[in-house]
Amino acid sequence: MKIKEKRRDVENELDKHNYAETEVYKMKSAYMIALAVVVIVIVIGGVFSYIYLGRSTTSTSTSKLAAATLNGAGGTLVYPLMTIWTAAYTSAEPQITISYNPVGSGTGITDFQGQIVDFGESDAPMNVAQYAAIPSGKTALTIPISASAVVPAYNLKLANGSTLTNGLNFTGTVLANIFLGNITIWNDTQIQSLNPTIPLPGTPITTVHRSDGSGTMFAFTDFLSQASPTWNTTVGKSTSPPWPKTPLETAGYHNAGVATAISQTNGAIGPLEIAYILENPGTIYYGTVQNAAGNFILANVTNIAAALQAGASAGLPAGNAAWTNVSIVDNIYNDAAATNIYPIATLTYALVYEQQSSYTQGAALVNFTSWVVNSGQTLGQGLGYVPLPANIVAVDNATIKLITYNGTPIEN
Amino acid sequence: MQFKPLRGDTILTIVLAAAALSIIGLLVGLAVELYLGAASAIYKFGTAFLIGSEWNTNKDILGALPFIYGTLLTSAIAILIGLPISLGVAIFISEKLNNHQTIGYLLGTMVDLLAAVPSVIYGLWGIFVLAPLLRDYVETPLHNSLGFIPLFSGTPSTSSFLTAGIILAIMIIPTMSAVSRDVLKAVPNSQREAMYSLGATEWEVTQKSVLPYARSGIFGAFVLGLGRAVGETMAVTMVIGNIPSITANLFSSGQTLSSLIANEFGESYGLYRSAIIEIGLILFLVALLINVFARLLLWRMTRGTRVKV
Repeated sequence: MKIKEKRRDVENELDKHNYAETEVYKMKSAYMIALAVVVIVIVIGGVFSYIYLGRSTTSTSTSKLAAATLNGAGGTLVYPLMTIWTAAYTSAEPQITISYNPVGSGTGITDFQGQIVDFGESDAPMNVAQYAAIPSGKTALTIPISASAVVPAYNLKLANGSTLTNGLNFTGTVLANIFLGNITIWNDTQIQSLNPTIPLPGTPITTVHRSDGSGTMFAFTDFLSQASPTWNTTVGKSTSPPWPKTPLETAGYHNAGVATAISQTNGAIGPLEIAYILENPGTIYYGTVQNAAGNFILANVTNIAAALQAGASAGLPAGNAAWTNVSIVDNIYNDAAATNIYPIATLTYALVYEQQSSYTQGAALVNFTSWVVNSGQTLGQGLGYVPLPANIVAVDNATIKLITYNGTPIEN
Repeated sequence: MQFKPLRGDTILTIVLAAAALSIIGLLVGLAVELYLGAASAIYKFGTAFLIGSEWNTNKDILGALPFIYGTLLTSAIAILIGLPISLGVAIFISEKLNNHQTIGYLLGTMVDLLAAVPSVIYGLWGIFVLAPLLRDYVETPLHNSLGFIPLFSGTPSTSSFLTAGIILAIMIIPTMSAVSRDVLKAVPNSQREAMYSLGATEWEVTQKSVLPYARSGIFGAFVLGLGRAVGETMAVTMVIGNIPSITANLFSSGQTLSSLIANEFGESYGLYRSAIIEIGLILFLVALLINVFARLLLWRMTRGTRVKV
């Protein structure tokens, strides 16, 4: 009796189990069908958009370039320009994809040394140790692709309540003394003597600089090293210099951080990239810097381009040589003949290998670099990037011709 | 009857064990990677790295003391300001608003929303809104009236230890309040009723029976908040001024371990990069030590007491 009851219970349980199974089964199959439909829709949609959108509007491309992806990594200075270049180049050569990662010059060089990118980008040329870390059998080519300049930006309320606008005069020595902490108030005789017509107040100077590494700090400290032997021995030039302690000091992250710090503090002064000033006109004021000819120059695209031209005419090394000591600032520091050049200008460099390991990649690289150096230069003017002068473009074109595959130069 | 474990159960056990062990594996892997990356700096500088106070990347004289000081100082300011406020919020919501459940719920939700705001938003708000306000309405009066104390002797500025500490406090208050509020709500009413029956006032009930009962949970909240304060990067980078310095002057610019890494890692190379990875290792160890220390303290505090964790 008990066994029968138990068996009936078990069978009831099994029936319920089967019933539940059926319900679950129905639900499961409904879900599976829905999932399958969604996946098919996505796959078809993806395939269609790849075929349809992958085609460019100018579908007749006469280029002989095979499809390739170029990966680059490097500094943030050139990143906005690289975005413009990528868009413009891809519409001309749709089968080439450019991918640039603004990880910083240091990582850009390390990635380049490790051969995990097609081109590296750096705001300062490689130093001796970095050249030594290039894999043996390979030669690094240094190709300047863009330029920048550093201006002394400030925020100062005059005694009569008005804000000081563009044009306060500075010399390299005065700037070095400010950032060494030797000049601590605005109406110090060294600054006042350069600006006899401006009644400077006794506000304390707050020095502002970049907290992260930057090619513009490299150019600025290069200029200060030339102007002041003390600066040269105690600080030197570098992308992340060890800034001396001044009484009031702060640092900002990227140009925007420096600009914010300057605009929030009365009496602040700091080196800022010209591109930031040109992109944000009227928000921050900057001063002139005296060049070798003795003229006080307020930076603009024309006098920066003239500075690059003059600096390069002193001679640039061949692309496959070491560029460690290349410095536009050093070349023009004593150039008294060039009357209208701005003294703190700097180049930013692409790094590629002379010996390419793949013909497709090499051809794409040659084509892209050549396009950047020749056709891409004017595209950055809206963002304040200065186009390279003709003599630097000529050096770059000669360097690009050195790129080889299996020993044979790659034709563009 | 012998029960053979079902195959599904065995598989479940294996999968769960793998997940648990992978956490430990991740921690060990992280520590190993950090150590390997920092190896050349550890070899070059040794223990001098921990007590050196100069950070000169050109001459390769690197010392982490200013950054350890910055991290500890900003976290201390954050905890000193944040812990009383978050305890106050938690006590208010759980004790006083017992009869006003809706307001308590609303307040609690808003506090939780504050915890969900990304830290970089705090940094942006801090740099544009809070920093000038603090400089003009907090630092300047403090400097004028209490300027003889070394803490307030510097020139008021928008980027300082104090600004960073206050932003950190604002960031950790939501986390600490939320956890404390839950812990206080979990204290059984019998505790409160017992105190009331002895004639205690509201504050005495809270202070003498609720808070001690919830001590371990509140301590857990404190550790959570401290952990977040120590590791916070972007919000601190934007308002601390990024100048390595060791000074008692709260209005001076400073630098923390995490903001140094955020600032200088990209442009670094060679020994310099290895030193920055070592800073990362130090940060990792500081966070670990804080947690271990907190757990030990908690264990001592709760020995013999009946607690609800």
